[in-house]
Amino acid sequence: MTTVKKAAASNFTPAGKKPGRGAGYYVGKVLINIVLWVFSLSCIFPLVWMGYSSLKLKRQFNADVISIPWGTATLQNYKDILGNPDYHLAESMWNSCRTTVISIVCIVLFSFIVGYILSRIRFKLNRPLYVMFLMGMLIPIHSLLVPMYVLFRNLGMHNQWYTLLFPYIAFGLPMGIFLVEGYVKGIPVSLEEAAAIDGSSFSRTLWSIIMPMCRPILVTVAIIQVFSCWNEFSFALCLIQNVHLQTVPLALTQFKGQFGSDYPLQMTAMLITMSPIVVLYFAFSNQIIKGMVAGAVKG
Amino acid sequence: MLQSVKPRRWVVVLYLLIPVALFIFSVFVPLLTALYFSFFEWKNGQSIYTATYNGLTNYKQLIADPIFWQSFGNNIYLVVACIIGQIGLAFVLVLFANSKLAVGKAVHRTFGFFPSTISAVCIGLIWSIIFHSKYGLLNWFVVNVLGGTKQAWLGDSSHVMLYVSIPLIWQFIGYYMVILFSAIAGIDQQIFESAEIDGANGFQTAIHITLPMIRSTMLVCLTLCVAGNMKAFDSIWTMTAGGPGYASYVMALYGYTVSFQQSNMGYGSAISIGIFVLSLLVIGGSRLLVNRMTRGLEE
Repeated sequence: MTTVKKAAASNFTPAGKKPGRGAGYYVGKVLINIVLWVFSLSCIFPLVWMGYSSLKLKRQFNADVISIPWGTATLQNYKDILGNPDYHLAESMWNSCRTTVISIVCIVLFSFIVGYILSRIRFKLNRPLYVMFLMGMLIPIHSLLVPMYVLFRNLGMHNQWYTLLFPYIAFGLPMGIFLVEGYVKGIPVSLEEAAAIDGSSFSRTLWSIIMPMCRPILVTVAIIQVFSCWNEFSFALCLIQNVHLQTVPLALTQFKGQFGSDYPLQMTAMLITMSPIVVLYFAFSNQIIKGMVAGAVKG
Repeated sequence: MLQSVKPRRWVVVLYLLIPVALFIFSVFVPLLTALYFSFFEWKNGQSIYTATYNGLTNYKQLIADPIFWQSFGNNIYLVVACIIGQIGLAFVLVLFANSKLAVGKAVHRTFGFFPSTISAVCIGLIWSIIFHSKYGLLNWFVVNVLGGTKQAWLGDSSHVMLYVSIPLIWQFIGYYMVILFSAIAGIDQQIFESAEIDGANGFQTAIHITLPMIRSTMLVCLTLCVAGNMKAFDSIWTMTAGGPGYASYVMALYGYTVSFQQSNMGYGSAISIGIFVLSLLVIGGSRLLVNRMTRGLEE
Protein backbone atom coordinates (compact mmCIF):
# COMPACT_ATOMS: atom_id res chain seq x y z
CA MET A 1 0.00 0.00 0.00
CA THR A 2 2.58 2.54 1.12
CA THR A 3 4.78 2.11 -1.92
CA VAL A 4 1.83 2.73 -4.17
CA LYS A 5 0.99 5.90 -2.30
CA LYS A 6 4.57 7.16 -2.52
CA ALA A 7 4.73 6.48 -6.23
CA ALA A 8 1.44 8.26 -6.75
CA ALA A 9 2.58 11.24 -4.71
CA SER A 10 5.79 11.60 -6.68
CA ASN A 11 3.81 11.55 -9.89
CA PHE A 12 1.92 14.60 -8.82
CA THR A 13 4.95 16.56 -7.65
CA PRO A 14 5.84 19.34 -10.13
CA ALA A 15 9.08 18.43 -11.87
CA GLY A 16 10.88 21.62 -10.84
CA LYS A 17 10.41 21.00 -7.15
CA LYS A 18 11.87 17.56 -7.11
CA PRO A 19 15.63 17.99 -7.51
CA GLY A 20 17.59 15.17 -8.96
CA ARG A 21 15.30 14.22 -11.82
CA GLY A 22 14.99 16.79 -14.60
CA ALA A 23 17.55 17.63 -17.28
CA GLY A 24 17.87 21.09 -15.70
CA TYR A 25 19.30 19.47 -12.62
CA TYR A 26 22.18 17.92 -14.51
CA VAL A 27 22.86 21.08 -16.51
CA GLY A 28 22.90 23.06 -13.27
CA LYS A 29 25.15 20.57 -11.58
CA VAL A 30 27.64 20.58 -14.43
CA LEU A 31 27.65 24.38 -14.71
CA ILE A 32 28.08 24.98 -10.99
CA ASN A 33 30.91 22.50 -10.76
CA ILE A 34 32.64 23.88 -13.83
CA VAL A 35 32.60 27.41 -12.39
CA LEU A 36 33.86 26.23 -9.01
CA TRP A 37 36.59 24.01 -10.35
CA VAL A 38 37.80 26.60 -12.85
CA PHE A 39 38.20 29.03 -9.97
CA SER A 40 39.85 26.56 -7.59
CA LEU A 41 42.23 25.26 -10.22
CA SER A 42 43.13 28.81 -11.27
CA CYS A 43 44.23 29.39 -7.67
CA ILE A 44 46.54 26.43 -7.68
CA PHE A 45 47.57 26.66 -11.32
CA PRO A 46 50.40 29.20 -10.85
CA LEU A 47 52.07 26.81 -8.43
CA VAL A 48 51.86 23.91 -10.89
CA TRP A 49 52.87 26.09 -13.81
CA MET A 50 55.88 27.44 -11.95
CA GLY A 51 56.72 23.94 -10.79
CA TYR A 52 57.20 22.48 -14.25
CA SER A 53 58.37 25.69 -15.88
CA SER A 54 61.26 25.88 -13.44
CA LEU A 55 62.53 22.71 -15.13
CA LYS A 56 62.68 24.45 -18.51
CA LEU A 57 65.34 26.69 -19.99
CA LYS A 58 64.66 30.25 -21.04
CA ARG A 59 64.77 29.30 -24.71
CA GLN A 60 62.18 26.56 -24.29
CA PHE A 61 59.94 28.75 -22.18
CA ASN A 62 59.94 31.66 -24.60
CA ALA A 63 59.12 29.29 -27.46
CA ASP A 64 56.15 27.81 -25.65
CA VAL A 65 54.94 29.14 -22.29
CA ILE A 66 52.58 26.33 -21.43
CA SER A 67 54.11 23.05 -22.59
CA ILE A 68 55.38 20.49 -20.11
CA PRO A 69 59.07 19.68 -20.58
CA TRP A 70 58.71 15.90 -21.06
CA GLY A 71 62.14 14.40 -21.36
CA THR A 72 63.92 17.75 -21.57
CA ALA A 73 63.51 18.64 -17.89
CA THR A 74 66.63 20.13 -16.37
CA LEU A 75 67.66 21.31 -12.93
CA GLN A 76 69.90 23.98 -14.45
CA ASN A 77 67.83 26.86 -13.00
CA TYR A 78 68.11 25.49 -9.48
CA LYS A 79 71.87 25.04 -9.91
CA ASP A 80 72.21 28.59 -11.25
CA ILE A 81 70.23 30.18 -8.47
CA LEU A 82 71.57 28.24 -5.53
CA GLY A 83 75.13 28.26 -6.86
CA ASN A 84 75.35 31.96 -7.66
CA PRO A 85 75.78 34.19 -4.60
CA ASP A 86 74.88 37.27 -6.67
CA TYR A 87 71.22 36.42 -6.36
CA HIS A 88 71.35 36.65 -2.53
CA LEU A 89 68.51 34.17 -2.33
CA ALA A 90 69.75 32.09 0.60
CA GLU A 91 70.81 35.29 2.35
CA SER A 92 67.40 36.88 1.84
CA MET A 93 65.66 33.78 3.15
CA TRP A 94 67.80 33.90 6.26
CA ASN A 95 66.97 37.60 6.68
CA SER A 96 63.27 36.94 6.26
CA CYS A 97 63.37 34.02 8.68
CA ARG A 98 65.17 36.03 11.35
CA THR A 99 62.90 39.05 10.98
CA THR A 100 59.75 36.92 10.94
CA VAL A 101 60.69 34.81 13.96
CA ILE A 102 61.78 37.73 16.13
CA SER A 103 58.74 39.79 15.10
CA ILE A 104 56.33 36.98 15.90
CA VAL A 105 57.85 36.22 19.28
CA CYS A 106 57.68 39.91 20.19
CA ILE A 107 54.16 40.39 18.82
CA VAL A 108 52.80 37.36 20.66
CA LEU A 109 54.55 38.30 23.90
CA PHE A 110 53.62 41.99 23.80
CA SER A 111 50.04 41.33 22.65
CA PHE A 112 49.63 38.91 25.50
CA ILE A 113 50.99 41.30 28.14
CA VAL A 114 49.19 44.41 26.90
CA GLY A 115 45.97 42.58 26.06
CA TYR A 116 45.85 40.99 29.49
CA ILE A 117 46.62 44.17 31.38
CA LEU A 118 44.13 46.23 29.37
CA SER A 119 41.45 43.66 29.99
CA ARG A 120 42.02 43.03 33.71
CA ILE A 121 43.87 45.83 35.48
CA ARG A 122 42.12 49.09 36.28
CA PHE A 123 44.40 52.13 36.09
CA LYS A 124 44.19 55.68 34.90
CA LEU A 125 45.77 55.16 31.49
CA ASN A 126 43.79 52.04 30.65
CA ARG A 127 41.24 53.71 28.34
CA PRO A 128 43.70 56.11 26.68
CA LEU A 129 46.01 53.19 25.87
CA TYR A 130 43.10 51.16 24.55
CA VAL A 131 42.05 53.99 22.27
CA MET A 132 45.64 54.50 21.13
CA PHE A 133 45.97 50.89 19.99
CA LEU A 134 42.53 51.07 18.43
CA MET A 135 43.72 54.06 16.43
CA GLY A 136 46.67 51.95 15.35
CA MET A 137 44.23 49.71 13.53
CA LEU A 138 42.55 52.60 11.77
CA ILE A 139 45.69 54.48 10.77
CA PRO A 140 46.49 53.83 7.12
CA ILE A 141 49.95 52.37 7.64
CA HIS A 142 51.06 52.88 4.06
CA SER A 143 51.09 56.62 4.74
CA LEU A 144 53.98 55.86 7.13
CA LEU A 145 56.29 54.57 4.39
CA VAL A 146 58.12 57.81 3.72
CA PRO A 147 57.79 59.25 7.26
CA MET A 148 59.35 56.13 8.74
CA TYR A 149 62.22 56.29 6.28
CA VAL A 150 62.83 59.96 7.15
CA LEU A 151 62.81 59.24 10.87
CA PHE A 152 64.97 56.13 10.65
CA ARG A 153 67.48 57.78 8.37
CA ASN A 154 67.88 60.70 10.72
CA LEU A 155 68.46 58.32 13.58
CA GLY A 156 70.77 56.11 11.52
CA MET A 157 68.39 53.22 12.03
CA HIS A 158 67.70 52.32 8.39
CA ASN A 159 69.70 49.53 6.74
CA GLN A 160 70.22 47.62 9.96
CA TRP A 161 69.37 44.02 10.66
CA TYR A 162 66.81 45.15 13.23
CA THR A 163 65.23 47.96 11.16
CA LEU A 164 62.20 46.03 9.95
CA LEU A 165 61.36 44.71 13.39
CA PHE A 166 59.98 48.12 14.37
CA PRO A 167 57.24 48.43 11.72
CA TYR A 168 56.39 44.73 11.74
CA ILE A 169 55.96 44.51 15.51
CA ALA A 170 54.16 47.85 15.76
CA PHE A 171 51.68 47.04 12.98
CA GLY A 172 51.07 43.54 14.27
CA LEU A 173 50.39 44.65 17.85
CA PRO A 174 46.90 46.22 17.62
CA MET A 175 45.16 43.17 16.17
CA GLY A 176 47.00 40.86 18.56
CA ILE A 177 46.09 43.00 21.55
CA PHE A 178 42.41 43.04 20.65
CA LEU A 179 42.28 39.30 20.05
CA VAL A 180 43.95 38.63 23.44
CA GLU A 181 41.84 41.24 25.21
CA GLY A 182 38.63 39.67 23.96
CA TYR A 183 39.85 36.21 24.84
CA VAL A 184 40.94 37.09 28.39
CA LYS A 185 37.48 38.55 29.05
CA GLY A 186 36.13 35.03 28.65
CA ILE A 187 38.40 33.60 31.35
CA PRO A 188 36.80 33.70 34.84
CA VAL A 189 38.50 36.11 37.25
CA SER A 190 38.06 33.63 40.10
CA LEU A 191 40.99 31.72 38.65
CA GLU A 192 43.41 34.57 39.32
CA GLU A 193 41.84 35.25 42.69
CA ALA A 194 42.38 31.65 43.72
CA ALA A 195 46.00 31.89 42.57
CA ALA A 196 46.47 35.11 44.57
CA ILE A 197 45.03 33.49 47.71
CA ASP A 198 47.48 30.66 47.27
CA GLY A 199 50.24 33.25 47.30
CA SER A 200 51.06 33.47 43.61
CA SER A 201 52.51 36.81 42.54
CA PHE A 202 51.10 38.82 39.61
CA SER A 203 53.91 37.79 37.28
CA ARG A 204 53.72 34.15 38.26
CA THR A 205 49.97 34.06 37.67
CA LEU A 206 50.48 35.83 34.34
CA TRP A 207 53.07 33.43 32.97
CA SER A 208 52.17 30.09 34.49
CA ILE A 209 48.36 30.26 34.69
CA ILE A 210 47.01 32.77 32.18
CA MET A 211 49.49 32.21 29.37
CA PRO A 212 48.82 28.47 28.96
CA MET A 213 45.09 29.23 28.95
CA CYS A 214 45.53 31.79 26.18
CA ARG A 215 47.44 29.40 23.95
CA PRO A 216 44.76 29.05 21.24
CA ILE A 217 44.47 32.78 20.70
CA LEU A 218 48.26 33.26 20.80
CA VAL A 219 48.62 30.61 18.11
CA THR A 220 46.04 32.49 16.02
CA VAL A 221 48.00 35.73 16.44
CA ALA A 222 51.21 33.96 15.42
CA ILE A 223 49.62 32.40 12.33
CA ILE A 224 48.30 35.72 11.07
CA GLN A 225 51.68 37.36 11.55
CA VAL A 226 53.77 34.61 9.93
CA PHE A 227 52.19 35.40 6.60
CA SER A 228 52.12 39.16 6.91
CA CYS A 229 55.78 39.37 8.05
CA TRP A 230 57.14 36.90 5.50
CA ASN A 231 55.26 38.58 2.65
CA GLU A 232 55.65 42.24 3.64
CA PHE A 233 57.20 44.29 0.87
CA SER A 234 56.64 48.04 0.96
CA PHE A 235 58.41 48.83 4.23
CA ALA A 236 61.30 46.55 3.33
CA LEU A 237 61.59 48.40 0.02
CA CYS A 238 61.77 51.80 1.69
CA LEU A 239 63.89 50.99 4.72
CA ILE A 240 66.41 48.47 3.35
CA GLN A 241 68.82 49.44 0.58
CA ASN A 242 71.65 47.11 1.54
CA VAL A 243 71.44 43.98 -0.65
CA HIS A 244 72.79 41.84 2.18
CA LEU A 245 69.82 42.74 4.38
CA GLN A 246 67.11 42.21 1.76
CA THR A 247 64.10 40.14 2.67
CA VAL A 248 62.60 37.60 0.29
CA PRO A 249 60.05 39.82 -1.53
CA LEU A 250 62.76 42.41 -2.06
CA ALA A 251 65.21 39.85 -3.41
CA LEU A 252 62.56 38.62 -5.84
CA THR A 253 62.11 42.04 -7.40
CA GLN A 254 65.70 41.99 -8.67
CA PHE A 255 64.59 39.26 -11.08
CA LYS A 256 62.14 41.72 -12.58
CA GLY A 257 64.69 44.27 -13.72
CA GLN A 258 68.11 42.76 -13.97
CA PHE A 259 67.19 39.33 -15.25
CA GLY A 260 63.85 40.47 -16.60
CA SER A 261 63.48 38.13 -19.49
CA ASP A 262 64.62 34.89 -17.88
CA TYR A 263 61.22 33.80 -16.62
CA PRO A 264 62.00 30.18 -15.76
CA LEU A 265 64.83 31.41 -13.56
CA GLN A 266 62.49 33.92 -11.93
CA MET A 267 59.90 31.21 -11.36
CA THR A 268 62.51 28.97 -9.80
CA ALA A 269 63.45 31.74 -7.39
CA MET A 270 59.81 32.31 -6.47
CA LEU A 271 59.25 28.61 -5.97
CA ILE A 272 62.25 28.28 -3.67
CA THR A 273 61.29 31.27 -1.55
CA MET A 274 57.62 30.28 -1.46
CA SER A 275 58.34 26.73 -0.40
CA PRO A 276 58.28 27.30 3.40
CA ILE A 277 54.93 29.08 3.15
CA VAL A 278 53.45 26.51 0.78
CA VAL A 279 54.51 23.56 2.96
CA LEU A 280 53.19 25.31 6.06
CA TYR A 281 49.93 26.13 4.34
CA PHE A 282 49.13 22.69 3.00
CA ALA A 283 50.20 21.01 6.23
CA PHE A 284 48.02 23.16 8.47
CA SER A 285 45.52 24.69 6.05
CA ASN A 286 42.54 24.24 8.34
CA GLN A 287 44.08 25.95 11.36
CA ILE A 288 45.60 28.66 9.17
CA ILE A 289 42.34 29.47 7.40
CA LYS A 290 40.44 29.52 10.69
CA GLY A 291 43.05 31.69 12.38
CA MET A 292 43.33 34.24 9.60
CA VAL A 293 39.58 34.58 9.28
CA ALA A 294 39.09 34.89 13.04
CA GLY A 295 41.66 37.67 13.06
CA ALA A 296 40.00 39.47 10.18
CA VAL A 297 36.47 39.29 11.53
CA LYS A 298 37.17 40.01 15.19
CA GLY A 299 39.95 42.50 14.47
CA MET B 1 38.26 44.02 36.74
CA LEU B 2 40.60 42.40 39.17
CA GLN B 3 40.67 43.79 42.67
CA SER B 4 42.01 41.10 44.97
CA VAL B 5 45.28 40.65 43.08
CA LYS B 6 46.03 44.21 42.10
CA PRO B 7 49.71 44.30 41.24
CA ARG B 8 51.99 47.12 42.29
CA ARG B 9 52.07 50.06 39.93
CA TRP B 10 55.70 49.71 38.90
CA VAL B 11 55.11 46.13 37.81
CA VAL B 12 52.39 47.22 35.39
CA VAL B 13 54.48 50.13 34.15
CA LEU B 14 57.44 47.84 33.59
CA TYR B 15 55.37 45.40 31.59
CA LEU B 16 53.75 48.06 29.43
CA LEU B 17 56.86 50.17 28.89
CA ILE B 18 58.47 48.38 25.93
CA PRO B 19 55.36 47.64 23.82
CA VAL B 20 53.84 51.08 24.30
CA ALA B 21 57.12 52.89 23.65
CA LEU B 22 57.78 50.81 20.55
CA PHE B 23 54.30 51.43 19.23
CA ILE B 24 54.45 55.19 19.76
CA PHE B 25 57.93 55.33 18.27
CA SER B 26 56.95 53.41 15.12
CA VAL B 27 53.52 54.90 14.46
CA PHE B 28 53.08 58.34 15.97
CA VAL B 29 56.62 59.72 15.90
CA PRO B 30 57.02 59.16 12.12
CA LEU B 31 53.69 60.87 11.50
CA LEU B 32 54.73 63.91 13.51
CA THR B 33 58.12 63.97 11.78
CA ALA B 34 56.41 63.89 8.41
CA LEU B 35 54.05 66.63 9.43
CA TYR B 36 57.05 68.74 10.45
CA PHE B 37 59.04 68.15 7.27
CA SER B 38 56.02 68.69 5.05
CA PHE B 39 56.56 72.40 5.70
CA PHE B 40 60.14 72.26 4.37
CA GLU B 41 61.82 72.26 1.03
CA TRP B 42 64.10 69.25 1.27
CA LYS B 43 65.32 67.87 -2.03
CA ASN B 44 67.99 65.96 -3.91
CA GLY B 45 69.59 64.27 -0.94
CA GLN B 46 70.58 67.50 0.77
CA SER B 47 71.32 67.29 4.46
CA ILE B 48 68.38 67.61 6.77
CA TYR B 49 70.02 70.63 8.42
CA THR B 50 69.96 72.65 5.21
CA ALA B 51 66.28 72.00 4.52
CA THR B 52 64.49 75.33 4.30
CA TYR B 53 61.11 76.23 5.72
CA ASN B 54 58.66 77.06 2.97
CA GLY B 55 55.33 77.19 4.74
CA LEU B 56 52.35 75.76 2.94
CA THR B 57 54.04 75.59 -0.48
CA ASN B 58 54.12 71.77 -0.49
CA TYR B 59 50.43 71.57 0.35
CA LYS B 60 49.49 74.10 -2.30
CA GLN B 61 51.43 72.02 -4.79
CA LEU B 62 49.70 68.86 -3.54
CA ILE B 63 46.21 70.25 -3.97
CA ALA B 64 47.01 71.33 -7.53
CA ASP B 65 48.87 68.11 -8.39
CA PRO B 66 46.90 66.21 -11.08
CA ILE B 67 48.99 63.06 -10.69
CA PHE B 68 48.23 62.84 -6.98
CA TRP B 69 44.51 63.14 -7.61
CA GLN B 70 44.71 60.65 -10.44
CA SER B 71 46.43 58.23 -8.04
CA PHE B 72 43.67 58.82 -5.52
CA GLY B 73 41.11 58.14 -8.25
CA ASN B 74 42.90 54.88 -9.08
CA ASN B 75 42.71 53.87 -5.41
CA ILE B 76 38.97 54.49 -5.47
CA TYR B 77 38.72 52.54 -8.74
CA LEU B 78 40.45 49.60 -7.06
CA VAL B 79 38.17 49.82 -4.04
CA VAL B 80 35.04 49.71 -6.21
CA ALA B 81 36.40 47.02 -8.53
CA CYS B 82 37.41 44.85 -5.60
CA ILE B 83 34.14 45.29 -3.73
CA ILE B 84 32.27 44.08 -6.80
CA GLY B 85 34.86 41.53 -7.87
CA GLN B 86 36.01 40.09 -4.56
CA ILE B 87 32.93 40.19 -2.37
CA GLY B 88 30.43 39.75 -5.22
CA LEU B 89 32.21 36.82 -6.84
CA ALA B 90 33.03 35.30 -3.46
CA PHE B 91 29.34 35.40 -2.55
CA VAL B 92 28.30 33.70 -5.80
CA LEU B 93 31.02 31.06 -5.49
CA VAL B 94 30.10 30.37 -1.87
CA LEU B 95 26.46 29.87 -2.84
CA PHE B 96 27.55 27.49 -5.59
CA ALA B 97 29.86 25.58 -3.28
CA ASN B 98 27.19 25.34 -0.59
CA SER B 99 24.53 23.98 -2.94
CA LYS B 100 23.88 20.27 -2.87
CA LEU B 101 25.07 20.00 -6.45
CA ALA B 102 28.68 21.00 -5.78
CA VAL B 103 31.44 18.44 -5.45
CA GLY B 104 34.50 18.96 -3.25
CA LYS B 105 33.65 21.95 -1.07
CA ALA B 106 36.68 21.43 1.21
CA VAL B 107 39.01 21.43 -1.80
CA HIS B 108 37.58 24.71 -3.08
CA ARG B 109 38.11 26.23 0.35
CA THR B 110 41.74 25.12 0.62
CA PHE B 111 42.70 25.89 -2.97
CA GLY B 112 40.76 29.16 -3.11
CA PHE B 113 42.39 30.51 0.03
CA PHE B 114 45.89 29.65 -1.14
CA PRO B 115 46.66 32.81 -3.22
CA SER B 116 45.97 35.08 -0.27
CA THR B 117 48.86 33.50 1.65
CA ILE B 118 51.35 34.29 -1.12
CA SER B 119 53.22 37.58 -1.14
CA ALA B 120 51.80 40.27 -3.40
CA VAL B 121 55.22 40.51 -5.06
CA CYS B 122 54.98 36.89 -6.21
CA ILE B 123 51.43 37.45 -7.41
CA GLY B 124 52.60 40.53 -9.30
CA LEU B 125 55.52 38.69 -10.89
CA ILE B 126 53.37 35.73 -11.92
CA TRP B 127 50.76 37.97 -13.46
CA SER B 128 53.31 40.06 -15.30
CA ILE B 129 54.38 36.82 -17.00
CA ILE B 130 50.73 36.01 -17.73
CA PHE B 131 50.19 39.52 -19.15
CA HIS B 132 53.54 39.65 -20.99
CA SER B 133 53.14 41.19 -24.42
CA LYS B 134 55.44 38.70 -26.17
CA TYR B 135 55.62 35.43 -24.26
CA GLY B 136 52.63 35.84 -21.97
CA LEU B 137 50.15 33.12 -21.15
CA LEU B 138 47.20 35.34 -21.93
CA ASN B 139 48.53 36.11 -25.39
CA TRP B 140 49.22 32.42 -25.93
CA PHE B 141 45.57 31.79 -25.09
CA VAL B 142 44.31 34.64 -27.27
CA VAL B 143 46.37 33.52 -30.27
CA ASN B 144 46.07 29.73 -30.03
CA VAL B 145 42.59 29.27 -28.60
CA LEU B 146 40.63 32.36 -29.56
CA GLY B 147 42.52 32.98 -32.78
CA GLY B 148 43.09 36.68 -32.04
CA THR B 149 46.20 38.81 -32.14
CA LYS B 150 48.70 39.59 -29.39
CA GLN B 151 47.94 42.51 -27.10
CA ALA B 152 50.20 44.65 -24.94
CA TRP B 153 47.96 44.25 -21.90
CA LEU B 154 49.84 46.26 -19.31
CA GLY B 155 51.01 48.76 -21.91
CA ASP B 156 47.47 49.90 -22.69
CA SER B 157 47.09 53.07 -20.65
CA SER B 158 43.32 53.32 -20.96
CA HIS B 159 42.63 49.79 -19.64
CA VAL B 160 45.65 49.16 -17.47
CA MET B 161 43.75 49.71 -14.21
CA LEU B 162 41.28 47.00 -15.19
CA TYR B 163 44.08 44.53 -15.94
CA VAL B 164 45.95 45.45 -12.79
CA SER B 165 42.88 44.94 -10.63
CA ILE B 166 42.29 41.40 -11.94
CA PRO B 167 45.20 39.83 -9.98
CA LEU B 168 44.18 41.83 -6.89
CA ILE B 169 40.61 40.57 -7.15
CA TRP B 170 41.64 37.01 -7.90
CA GLN B 171 44.11 36.87 -5.03
CA PHE B 172 41.55 37.59 -2.31
CA ILE B 173 38.33 35.96 -3.60
CA GLY B 174 39.15 32.84 -1.60
CA TYR B 175 39.77 34.92 1.51
CA TYR B 176 36.32 36.46 1.39
CA MET B 177 34.83 33.10 0.43
CA VAL B 178 36.09 31.58 3.66
CA ILE B 179 34.68 34.46 5.74
CA LEU B 180 31.30 34.06 4.01
CA PHE B 181 31.41 30.27 4.39
CA SER B 182 31.65 30.60 8.15
CA ALA B 183 28.91 33.24 8.22
CA ILE B 184 26.51 31.07 6.21
CA ALA B 185 27.34 28.03 8.33
CA GLY B 186 26.04 30.04 11.29
CA ILE B 187 22.55 30.40 9.78
CA ASP B 188 19.89 28.02 11.06
CA GLN B 189 19.46 25.30 8.42
CA GLN B 190 15.70 25.12 9.06
CA ILE B 191 15.27 28.50 7.40
CA PHE B 192 16.66 27.12 4.15
CA GLU B 193 14.53 24.00 4.46
CA SER B 194 11.33 25.96 4.93
CA ALA B 195 12.25 28.24 2.04
CA GLU B 196 12.72 25.19 -0.14
CA ILE B 197 9.34 23.79 0.94
CA ASP B 198 7.75 27.13 0.12
CA GLY B 199 9.13 26.77 -3.36
CA ALA B 200 11.86 29.43 -3.36
CA ASN B 201 14.49 28.83 -6.02
CA GLY B 202 18.21 29.23 -5.41
CA PHE B 203 18.30 32.82 -6.61
CA GLN B 204 15.39 33.91 -4.42
CA THR B 205 16.88 32.16 -1.40
CA ALA B 206 20.20 33.92 -1.95
CA ILE B 207 18.72 37.41 -2.26
CA HIS B 208 15.92 37.26 0.28
CA ILE B 209 17.30 34.91 2.92
CA THR B 210 21.07 34.39 2.79
CA LEU B 211 22.04 37.98 2.05
CA PRO B 212 19.98 39.60 4.85
CA MET B 213 21.08 36.92 7.32
CA ILE B 214 24.80 37.55 6.78
CA ARG B 215 24.48 41.32 6.51
CA SER B 216 26.88 42.12 9.34
CA THR B 217 29.57 39.82 7.92
CA MET B 218 29.10 41.42 4.51
CA LEU B 219 29.72 44.82 6.08
CA VAL B 220 32.89 43.52 7.77
CA CYS B 221 34.06 42.31 4.35
CA LEU B 222 33.27 45.72 2.93
CA THR B 223 35.42 47.57 5.47
CA LEU B 224 38.25 45.06 5.00
CA CYS B 225 38.05 45.57 1.27
CA VAL B 226 38.15 49.37 1.50
CA ALA B 227 41.10 49.40 3.93
CA GLY B 228 42.97 46.77 1.90
CA ASN B 229 42.72 48.62 -1.38
CA MET B 230 43.57 52.07 -0.09
CA LYS B 231 47.03 50.65 0.68
CA ALA B 232 47.52 48.90 -2.67
CA PHE B 233 51.20 49.09 -3.56
CA ASP B 234 53.14 45.82 -3.82
CA SER B 235 51.58 44.07 -6.78
CA ILE B 236 51.15 47.26 -8.81
CA TRP B 237 54.77 48.20 -8.15
CA THR B 238 55.85 44.79 -9.46
CA MET B 239 53.50 44.66 -12.44
CA THR B 240 53.61 48.15 -13.95
CA ALA B 241 55.51 50.39 -11.49
CA GLY B 242 52.71 52.87 -12.15
CA GLY B 243 53.03 52.87 -15.89
CA PRO B 244 52.44 53.39 -18.70
CA GLY B 245 53.04 57.03 -17.87
CA TYR B 246 51.10 57.67 -14.69
CA ALA B 247 48.12 55.53 -15.73
CA SER B 248 48.29 52.97 -12.93
CA TYR B 249 49.72 55.10 -10.13
CA VAL B 250 48.19 54.67 -6.69
CA MET B 251 48.77 57.06 -3.78
CA ALA B 252 51.38 55.04 -1.89
CA LEU B 253 53.28 54.47 -5.12
CA TYR B 254 53.29 58.17 -5.94
CA GLY B 255 54.55 59.03 -2.47
CA TYR B 256 57.30 56.47 -2.90
CA THR B 257 58.30 57.74 -6.35
CA VAL B 258 58.44 61.38 -5.32
CA SER B 259 60.43 60.62 -2.16
CA PHE B 260 62.87 58.04 -3.42
CA GLN B 261 63.18 58.32 -7.19
CA GLN B 262 62.83 62.09 -7.42
CA SER B 263 64.37 62.35 -3.91
CA ASN B 264 62.04 65.15 -2.89
CA MET B 265 61.54 64.32 0.78
CA GLY B 266 59.74 67.52 1.71
CA TYR B 267 57.04 67.08 -0.90
CA GLY B 268 57.04 63.33 -0.22
CA SER B 269 56.22 64.06 3.42
CA ALA B 270 53.37 66.32 2.37
CA ILE B 271 52.05 63.54 0.10
CA SER B 272 52.25 61.12 3.02
CA ILE B 273 50.15 63.44 5.15
CA GLY B 274 47.75 63.73 2.21
CA ILE B 275 47.54 59.92 1.96
CA PHE B 276 46.98 59.74 5.69
CA VAL B 277 44.12 62.23 5.66
CA LEU B 278 42.43 60.89 2.52
CA SER B 279 42.70 57.23 3.53
CA LEU B 280 41.42 58.01 6.98
CA LEU B 281 38.50 59.88 5.46
CA VAL B 282 37.63 57.05 3.08
CA ILE B 283 38.15 54.22 5.60
CA GLY B 284 36.53 56.11 8.48
CA GLY B 285 33.72 57.33 6.23
CA SER B 286 32.93 53.84 4.99
CA ARG B 287 33.02 52.47 8.55
CA LEU B 288 30.67 55.19 9.74
CA LEU B 289 28.33 54.50 6.85
CA VAL B 290 28.45 50.77 7.57
CA ASN B 291 27.80 51.31 11.29
CA ARG B 292 24.84 53.53 10.53
CA MET B 293 23.49 50.96 8.08
CA THR B 294 23.78 48.10 10.58
CA ARG B 295 22.22 50.14 13.35
CA GLY B 296 19.29 51.16 11.16
CA LEU B 297 18.70 47.57 10.20
CA GLU B 298 18.83 46.17 13.69
CA GLU B 299 16.17 48.46 15.03
